Amino acid sequence: METITFNSVVPQVFSSTVQQLKSEIWNTEVTFRKGQLYLIEADSGKGKSTFCSYVVGYRRDYSGTVLFDANDTMHYKVKDWIDVRRQHVSYLFQELRLFPELTALENVEIKNKLTGFKSRAQIIEWFDRLGIADKLQSKVGRMSFGQQQRVAMLRALVQPFDFILADEPISHLDDTNSAAMADIMLAEAKAQGAGVIVTSIGKHMKLEYDKTLKL
Amino acid sequence: MTLVWKLLRQHISIPQFAGFFFANLFGMLIVLLGFQFYQDVVPMFTAEDSFMKNDFLIVNKKIGTASTISGRSNTFSNAEIDDFGRQPFVGRIGWFTATAYKADANMSVNGTSVLNNGEINFESIPDVFVDAKKSNWKYRPGDTTVPIILPRIYLTMYNFGFAQSHSLPKISEGLVGMIDFRIFVHGHNKEGRFNGKVIGFSNRLSSILVPQAFMDWSNATYSQGETHEPTRLIMQINNPGDRRFTTYLDRKGYEIENDKLNAEKTTYFLRMMITMVMLVGLVISALSFYMLMLSIYLLVQKNSGKLENLLLIGYKPTEVARPYQLLTIGLNFAVFLMALTILFFVRQAYMDIIETLFPDIEDGSMLPALAVGIALFFLVSLSNLVIIRNKIVRIWKRKE
Repeated sequence: METITFNSVVPQVFSSTVQQLKSEIWNTEVTFRKGQLYLIEADSGKGKSTFCSYVVGYRRDYSGTVLFDANDTMHYKVKDWIDVRRQHVSYLFQELRLFPELTALENVEIKNKLTGFKSRAQIIEWFDRLGIADKLQSKVGRMSFGQQQRVAMLRALVQPFDFILADEPISHLDDTNSAAMADIMLAEAKAQGAGVIVTSIGKHMKLEYDKTLKL
Repeated sequence: MTLVWKLLRQHISIPQFAGFFFANLFGMLIVLLGFQFYQDVVPMFTAEDSFMKNDFLIVNKKIGTASTISGRSNTFSNAEIDDFGRQPFVGRIGWFTATAYKADANMSVNGTSVLNNGEINFESIPDVFVDAKKSNWKYRPGDTTVPIILPRIYLTMYNFGFAQSHSLPKISEGLVGMIDFRIFVHGHNKEGRFNGKVIGFSNRLSSILVPQAFMDWSNATYSQGETHEPTRLIMQINNPGDRRFTTYLDRKGYEIENDKLNAEKTTYFLRMMITMVMLVGLVISALSFYMLMLSIYLLVQKNSGKLENLLLIGYKPTEVARPYQLLTIGLNFAVFLMALTILFFVRQAYMDIIETLFPDIEDGSMLPALAVGIALFFLVSLSNLVIIRNKIVRIWKRKE
């Protein structure tokens, strides 16, 4: 998958106010390319998470078309979305969506088992670099949100992808950890030649973005 | 244990599943037991009589208050028999001949006396109506050994009542040689002793059957030539459904001896009863199925967040549904095995009783119940699979 194109996409919640919509994504045409680094900035309520959920097929309540290369994703079947989620688009959820009953390591393993993409040693090394190696066997439910954010990031990285969506990835991180996380993510994206789309409502990873879009 | 299972077993309620297990076990057991019992018992009522084929009909005159008062005879005259025999629907016709003398008998089994000098009645029918080997069913005047066929009720009474209380062996048709049957005949100032050789049993007799040759000879020897008109006729009807036959019976005031009808009625009521019992079992099974589905729904509902997250990180709906599907199939299979095991022991218990009553009944097998059990298992499991899968697909579509 080389590109993601949003063509005249308007979420249904905005359909009545489409005239006042001033956005570089909604109701216009925008294409995200593999290998590029994007920042989507927005105030809250502008539809950052909505944007992400359209890309991973979680929601379809929009008009217009979302294209993967030249394919209209509106026609995707369950198996197509499974393929997208496993092989092409990785998503770091704003609300993390970790499993509090499982340990930090298990939360990453449950995804890695599906893809068999990374070795356990690699995963443990990442934990170490993010300063949460001591939490490997801790239940995620007992960890701070900042720590959970790092676990969620690692889970997002144990799969092949053409694009990675990071929905407010560093909202609860200090600058040091934020930088470490950005390093790991960019290294992995570079290794895969993938595109990176980061969203933010203010605080964002200090990176050299190819393009910044205002939602 | 996989991580997915570790996640999805959260909120599993053991009491709910135990409730389902026992309710379903109960329902399934009732259904299987009803079916198996029916299969085991029906042959007793429908078994072909080995000595008189079912298509031989026995006809007698209706006995009612009117005929008793009017003094109308319940015997068939020669003219009546001839008239009957001339009807186009009658194939062969014959009659039951009774003895015109007195006879007593001693019967013992393995040396223990069962019947002591009891007065008995013989009757005979033409040999063509007796379905026994010619070599077994013959009598030459003067022989002291007489082949006889006993009413089956004798065997039942002996096996179920006498043999048990006297610790005697039970008799089946294969073991008739164990019966020692002695006959004493007196009349016309003569006496005779005979050995009865039991060659089998029949459902359709009300007294002891002897060969026609013995009957003719003994009647001539031990009575003074007095002959009784027959009260019962035996015949083969070309087409038992022939309307002319029933019309003729009605017009003449005859009726068919209804041993066969009785068996049919019994089978009918048995079938009706067992159908009802099985329906109750099915209702219980259906309710337990409903209970299982409610439990699964509740479980899926409580775990819907986890299920959705698994789908979002790339798990297929089938992969997510599988733990619950395996759980229900496992439960169903356990119920199936348990029901079969219990059925096996229950069946052994009742088959003991049935075999006492009917030693000749074939042992049968549990195949009928097995087949029904397998069918139920597949039906229930398949519905479970589909319902669970649909539930997960609804989560995928964010309808839950």
